[in-house]
Amino acid sequence: MKNDTASKWRVGIDIGGTFTDIVAINPKDNTIRVGKVPSRYEDPVGAIVEAITSLELEADDIDVIVHGTTRVTNAIIEGTMAPVALLATDGFEDSIEIARLSRAELYHLDVPPKLPPLAPSERRIPVAERMAYTGDVLKPLSAEEISRVVAQAKSLGIDSVAVSLLHSYANGTHERQLGQALADAGLHVSLSHQINPEAREYERTAVTLLDAAVTPIAVNYLGTLENEPLIKGKLRLFHSAGGMATPDAVRNRPLVMAMSGPAAGVAATARLGGGFGHNSLLTFDMGGTTTDVCLVQDGEADISVDKKIAGRPIRMPMVAVESIGAGGGSIVRVDTGGLTIGPDSAGANPGPAAYGNGGTQATITDISVVLGYMNLDKKLGGRMTLDRDAAIKTITPMAEKLGMGIAEFALGTAKVANAVMSRALRRVTVERGVDGRNCALVAFGGAAPLYAAGLARMYGICDVVVPRASSVFSALGCVVADTSYTDQRTIRSESDTWNEASFAAHLAEARTAVLKPFLDEGISEGAIQVEHTALVRYVGQSSEVATRITLPHDISMTGESFRKNHDQLYGFATDESFEIVSLRTVGVLPSGVSATVAPGEPNDGPTLISTGDVWFDAEAPVSTPRYDRATCAAGRQIYGPAILEDASSTVVVPPNWSVTANAAGDLLMKDHDHDR
Amino acid sequence: MTVDPFTIEVIRHGLSAAAEEMSLTVMRAARSPVLREAGDLSSALTDHKGDLISQGKDIPAHIGTMSFTVKQFLNWIPKEQLRAGDVWFTNHPECGGNHLPDVKAIRPIFAKDKLVAFSISLAHWADVGGAWPGSYYTAATDSIQEGLRLPPLRLFHADGPDREKIAVVTSNVRGQHLTEGDIFAQMSATRSAEQRVLEICEEYGVDVFQQALEQLHDLSEAQMRQALLGLPDGVYKGEDFVDEGGPDDAPAAVRVTITVKGDTADFDFTETDDKINSVLNTTPLMAAAAMMYAIKAVAGPEIQPNGGCYRPLTFKTRPGSLIDPGPMVPIVGGNHETSQRVADAIFRALEGAVPTRLTAGGPTTAGLFIFGGVDAKGRYSTLYEVHGGGEGARTDRDGCPAVRVHMVNTSNTPVEVIEAEYPLRVLQHRLRKGSGGAGKHKGGDGIVREYLTLGDDMVLTTMFERRVVAPYGLCGGESGAPFRATLYRENEPDRELPGKSNMSLKKGDRLKMESSGGGGFGTK
Repeated sequence: MKNDTASKWRVGIDIGGTFTDIVAINPKDNTIRVGKVPSRYEDPVGAIVEAITSLELEADDIDVIVHGTTRVTNAIIEGTMAPVALLATDGFEDSIEIARLSRAELYHLDVPPKLPPLAPSERRIPVAERMAYTGDVLKPLSAEEISRVVAQAKSLGIDSVAVSLLHSYANGTHERQLGQALADAGLHVSLSHQINPEAREYERTAVTLLDAAVTPIAVNYLGTLENEPLIKGKLRLFHSAGGMATPDAVRNRPLVMAMSGPAAGVAATARLGGGFGHNSLLTFDMGGTTTDVCLVQDGEADISVDKKIAGRPIRMPMVAVESIGAGGGSIVRVDTGGLTIGPDSAGANPGPAAYGNGGTQATITDISVVLGYMNLDKKLGGRMTLDRDAAIKTITPMAEKLGMGIAEFALGTAKVANAVMSRALRRVTVERGVDGRNCALVAFGGAAPLYAAGLARMYGICDVVVPRASSVFSALGCVVADTSYTDQRTIRSESDTWNEASFAAHLAEARTAVLKPFLDEGISEGAIQVEHTALVRYVGQSSEVATRITLPHDISMTGESFRKNHDQLYGFATDESFEIVSLRTVGVLPSGVSATVAPGEPNDGPTLISTGDVWFDAEAPVSTPRYDRATCAAGRQIYGPAILEDASSTVVVPPNWSVTANAAGDLLMKDHDHDR
Repeated sequence: MTVDPFTIEVIRHGLSAAAEEMSLTVMRAARSPVLREAGDLSSALTDHKGDLISQGKDIPAHIGTMSFTVKQFLNWIPKEQLRAGDVWFTNHPECGGNHLPDVKAIRPIFAKDKLVAFSISLAHWADVGGAWPGSYYTAATDSIQEGLRLPPLRLFHADGPDREKIAVVTSNVRGQHLTEGDIFAQMSATRSAEQRVLEICEEYGVDVFQQALEQLHDLSEAQMRQALLGLPDGVYKGEDFVDEGGPDDAPAAVRVTITVKGDTADFDFTETDDKINSVLNTTPLMAAAAMMYAIKAVAGPEIQPNGGCYRPLTFKTRPGSLIDPGPMVPIVGGNHETSQRVADAIFRALEGAVPTRLTAGGPTTAGLFIFGGVDAKGRYSTLYEVHGGGEGARTDRDGCPAVRVHMVNTSNTPVEVIEAEYPLRVLQHRLRKGSGGAGKHKGGDGIVREYLTLGDDMVLTTMFERRVVAPYGLCGGESGAPFRATLYRENEPDRELPGKSNMSLKKGDRLKMESSGGGGFGTK
């Protein structure tokens, strides 16, 4: 089939641990195709090709393929990164190992207090040079020293080198000189003043080392992807700050992929048209071992710069996803201290007891089975059916220990699971000065639609959205997301000695920097939206408050917005002088694709699949209809209790809740106990 | 009424989240580097009687203290005087105080006109006045010389801040411009916790909330009893030594006799040496805090820490001793130094009972160096440098290099922050290679940090231990290298500095800090 560009498909692909999800949208009429194929750990590209083929798409049909992957994230979590060397200012080569001294566990003496650094001491090379905090050179970097340290790095037999010199955020000349020489010697190089041009040497060095350690993995993976004829020339990658980037941009800074997977689901939420009558949405993505939540306000995801992955600090702008160690596989226990959930998980193997693979510990999934949420006749992933007796067997001793029935125990455990997840919601809302109860909860991923109503009620949220493509939502996020590039630079200017002209120069430079990759691709400047955010604090504070800048810039207006934000966050604001610490600039090329897809065939259902006992109350089960989700008529309200299911997800609608499908097939659930 | 275990768990999560949120708020909103960089602060919630019900992931020494602060506060200020919206500040040694720099902000929380809880934000102020910048006056002979003593003082009420009282406080500390912001940050933290508690009370009702707190205490008590059953019954003796200050300036001993019997344990400290001629005396509260830390670390790290944990434990100190010196005695250093001696004495005692649960000696000292000066605007500026060292080894692994252990858990201040904000340059920041003690598993290495003074008229305070008494090895492992500080000054011989001193610095002076290595475990 021949296509002009305007009618070519945009394809989103998300590779997860079990499935590779694909969503294709044709922007011409907003039609959507959705697919799922098993992931292949050794051959991810093979799975991608299979997924594309399953949608009956050929190379000529496709405009762009946007890929979200956990490859970089997993390498960090599993510690399977490439060996790297660190070049650091002489005398400070151990700063990365000394770190910030504090330990994560206060009372567990057996736990090693810190992670070992990615570059052990034999791969840390001191460099004779020194900058002052002003950017003045205290000790020059000689040509002899450059050749000496490059030769030493070369002799280590590694492919990738991080360079992090003191005060390089103020003057990156020495780092650039070293970077050039290392690149000439055939090594991958990550320079700290480019990765993260901000003060505090440990954090900057840590993020630079991590970038260097994932570079060989990312470069190889990108190479394999681009060798595939079906993908070649069409590839974009989904980055942690919630947008797409070209393969070349990712090669230069692979760590931008660190949160690629979770960021895609958040991006899809940001593009749900109109927000269903709410300015603020909370994403709720419950997987096997963790639950991820994020705040999306006015179509924009919250951004954070101080996340950790697997205990390693990553100081770069990323979608502010908060993860908490409670998912479908989290283990439930009763001991002297009471009832606990997780943080350890039964994993995929043996998995929950109900999977019948020899799992003997009760998990949240077993609780879902016992409560009657799951369809016991359906084959999961086409393979196994669920074993309710096995689930009951693991739960019984715990229920007996607490002197209660199975149902009462299971309902109670679900309540605790909701409490644990509420904690994550609290971190992204109240702790940022937002009242989460005014948000709608957007549930996607495996287990989220099971628990969304219960979590919402506990947290005081009245509206829940389960988007049509909820089970492939991250892949959808890849399709609908904008292309974006972020620049963050240190400013450090105080309000009482403000120089508007020099700030204007920074604004212009930052603008040029974020525009460059677009212009390189031949995109016109007029199509790009550029927005600036100042990171502002009172003089003396160490944490900044993100404050949107309006142009033409006026320091007194920025000050006013800062004080307003500070008051909202901390409950006070003063007229003291403040400083703009950094400037974050984002350039966006809007995709113009909405996550609300075109209506499918009209339905007049729902079609009943079966009726069965579900426990919403410990007294007695309620006979609850189970409907085929795909057959729900748009606009027809269904009152709970009810269960809606499709091939890969199950939505629980408790009593006193209702659910209505819209024309696009998104489900809107309402809590009628609240009369707000 | 009994609250079901699920509601209990839900409330417990809500309360720990509230305490953790408080600490984040202080770090983000505060001005002093000692708070925003080093994180020398802690947060807690108590019930209406002052028993701890939740804590942040902070500093065990602080948390131990705060389990007494509100109780003693209530002896001082009758409940009838408390109002919603109040925030009271105190650092008074006789009001649940540990040392003057640790100032607590206490907010009574009322739900439906009923006092249900308190939120407390403890923050180490960079200066609380007294004879020496940084408020560690090592020659102090009484508490008055150590700084401004604040009995409970209501700095905020429902209508807002009491500017006059705040001015009295900030006029008596160095670095007024930072302290005011820190006071507001502490207030802000107690306020966020109040909101969380009120949300819980609204959701479940005040009666359920209060009953749940009772049950949380009972659960922790049961956990502690079970943990104690896991220790063999017996009488165990142990001792550890403060570097100096005893008769003839010899090391002074903290001694403990622990009697474990079934699900209880008694800690008798009465054989501890007499109070010493130094600022290293400490209060019985700190001894109790150290006891709580040590027993939890050895017997039950998982125990939910709250007031109930203390019920199976008893302890005794002797008036006139190093850890029960009486009122008005200077105690600024004892807070973080001697309290660690108490914990180490307990660990030494348990070496005969449960050696494989223990860690060999580590940097159980604040490793504190305070640089004081006046900035370009003529304002006092104080850099509060704390240092970790090498962790001791364990039965199954080497010690970790460069960490904080046991009662303290503060961070260092980045070199790039120090150089941008103070007239100092850092010449090196390295591991102190080979400083860990030998053994089957070896101790972790300490740290070297060397400073160059760029300004005139600066002053320095040192406050560290493990200079004379090195971190101990366990089960035949060797000691780690002791702490050392050396001053290099032009035209003068190099000079090793004492562990407790106040002195002037000259431009061009170099100060080299070498922190202790950890003890080894087992014979090589």
